[in-house]
Amino acid sequence: MASNKTGQKKKEKSKRRGASQWAVAWRRFKRNKAGIFGLIIVMAVFFVGIFGSFFAPYPARPDPHAYDPFYDIDPITGIGDVRKPPSWMDPEEPNSWKYLFGTTPIGTDVFSDIIHGTKYTVYVGVLVTVITMALSIAVGAIAGFYGRWVDNILMRISEVFLVFPSLLLILVFVRIFTVSVGEPFLNIPIINIQIPTGLTIVIVILGLFNWASNARMIRGEFLRVRELEFIEAERALGAGNIRIIFRHILPNLMSSIIVVSSLTIAYAILLEAAVSFLGFGDANTITWGQILQENFSEMRIVWWAEVFPGIAILLTVFGFNLLGDGLSDAMNPRLRD
Amino acid sequence: MAETLLNIEGLKTHFFTEAGIVKAVDGISFNLKKGESLGLVGESGSGKTVTALSVLRIVPKPGKITDGKIEFNDENLLKKTEKEMQKIRGSKIAIIFQDPSSSLNPVYTVGTQLRDVIMAHQTVSKTEARKKTIEILEVVGLPDAETRMREYPHQFSGGMKQRVAIARALACEPTLLFADEPTTNLDVTIQAQVLNLLNDLKKKLGMSLVMITHDMGIIAEMTTRIVVLYAGRVCEIAETHDLFERPRHPYTEALLAAVPRLDMRKTLRVIPGNIPNLIEPPSGCRFHPRCNYAKQTCKEDIPVLEEIESGHFVACHEWQNITLKGERSH
Repeated sequence: MASNKTGQKKKEKSKRRGASQWAVAWRRFKRNKAGIFGLIIVMAVFFVGIFGSFFAPYPARPDPHAYDPFYDIDPITGIGDVRKPPSWMDPEEPNSWKYLFGTTPIGTDVFSDIIHGTKYTVYVGVLVTVITMALSIAVGAIAGFYGRWVDNILMRISEVFLVFPSLLLILVFVRIFTVSVGEPFLNIPIINIQIPTGLTIVIVILGLFNWASNARMIRGEFLRVRELEFIEAERALGAGNIRIIFRHILPNLMSSIIVVSSLTIAYAILLEAAVSFLGFGDANTITWGQILQENFSEMRIVWWAEVFPGIAILLTVFGFNLLGDGLSDAMNPRLRD
Repeated sequence: MAETLLNIEGLKTHFFTEAGIVKAVDGISFNLKKGESLGLVGESGSGKTVTALSVLRIVPKPGKITDGKIEFNDENLLKKTEKEMQKIRGSKIAIIFQDPSSSLNPVYTVGTQLRDVIMAHQTVSKTEARKKTIEILEVVGLPDAETRMREYPHQFSGGMKQRVAIARALACEPTLLFADEPTTNLDVTIQAQVLNLLNDLKKKLGMSLVMITHDMGIIAEMTTRIVVLYAGRVCEIAETHDLFERPRHPYTEALLAAVPRLDMRKTLRVIPGNIPNLIEPPSGCRFHPRCNYAKQTCKEDIPVLEEIESGHFVACHEWQNITLKGERSH
């Protein structure tokens, strides 16, 4: 009898634990194979971004050892290991994994370059998204909550941002403001992370130009939630505007914000790659876009120096998109079972 | 006679829409004594809910209280700042809304929402607030409160949600509670439970209740006095049994006649026409286009609320000249 009762209680407890929106969303997400695949890619990118410098075959530039393949002179030809194809397909290097993705015309290892670039990719994705979301939540919340003329002004401003070809504007601003100084903006030696100044400026500019569409989405959500009856009930119980915005409306938008953030990260990575590829980025920071830019002129022969960084960008953006779609499916209340 | 708790005088709440000014509440006066149950009755759009929202000063935009006086414990609520009103809302005056399923925030557990209200109005520690939360949930008859307070609103049934909503409104023991059609969205057996609960709690806590509904059955059951509203104005105020026995306003008569009854063989009587457009309401008595007894004066002059017997007020030009069918001799 007693054991039966405790058993029942346990069952109730486990049922209860899984009732918050996050638990429900996670249960739904787990069933989504594409979403899980995306999550794995994203986690791998973050892992390589944080710990990559510990297992990369060659150190990051500007360390002279980054150019070691260049100095690895062949005794017969007298040429270093530049423009070497990936070793596993190089007839001269049977059964070798020496240069997994080949080497570049200036004698760096493409594989190492990609690994060292990963942390910048993570940095770009996360920081651009933080700036973008902070701006768009602020604008969207104010416009959606206060409505009327405030809404009108903010939405007209956002339209200005939407109608301009943003890549062009970004290129102009990046060219004006970016300084390619070697001095890092912030240096955290313990985990070997240096935050480059030039890239940070690019990131801030990207963040400042991307908020408009997200702000409109958040404004729409605010308009929807603001009209729900529980907001009126909270007001009737003595809640003020600030409390209603932060304690009651925003938590109801968390799922949308997370989904949009994940898609914004993907977009930010793509955008930074484009800016760097076009030669407007920070030349001292070897991001994936920068690798593409550096090796572009010899692409017909040294194709591996373009294809593999390209695949890295593609896979990462794909992963974030899959994750975003998976999250969106998992957290969409209209699909909730 | 008990003390007056709430005194509303000449309250005007207008909505400034693009189509024009909607005079949703246009000069309403009535009062409420301590411990009393008052019914606010009228068709949809007669200004019942807007009156309640006006007292709490939470009329949604573009609505605005343009005139009048709302005295609560002899203090004019319309002169208070927003900050002062926030302290009053939920702690001294509370309201229960119609739809229990949407009056709770879906992302927080029921317990958190109750604790929030308690902690917003009283200086108590988290553990004390938690204790109070369990207490109040038990008071409203939520079984196994300690477990269920950790659940989310979507895990509750409609009736249980309404109990939680009531618990939240009562958490700080308000002296005045508005119940805005609290049972409309519940099925009949739950309705009875919720109404009984409200009655019990009212007695236990000694608060005053304003019941807003168009259900005459609930009104008869729950209230001692009734205010009949029509198109933003008061038609009639009377003790409940008095109003049911001898309505003096043609609108009240029509309203009572429109209540379906089991022993009624004839077709249900309806009031012809619709509630008037409140942007350009009818001249004179607002009910005159639908009134069977309307005369020329009704179109021209606004009737004033006059006391025809002690405690029975009517706003009608013709009340002396007409005999209403509702005046049954029992």
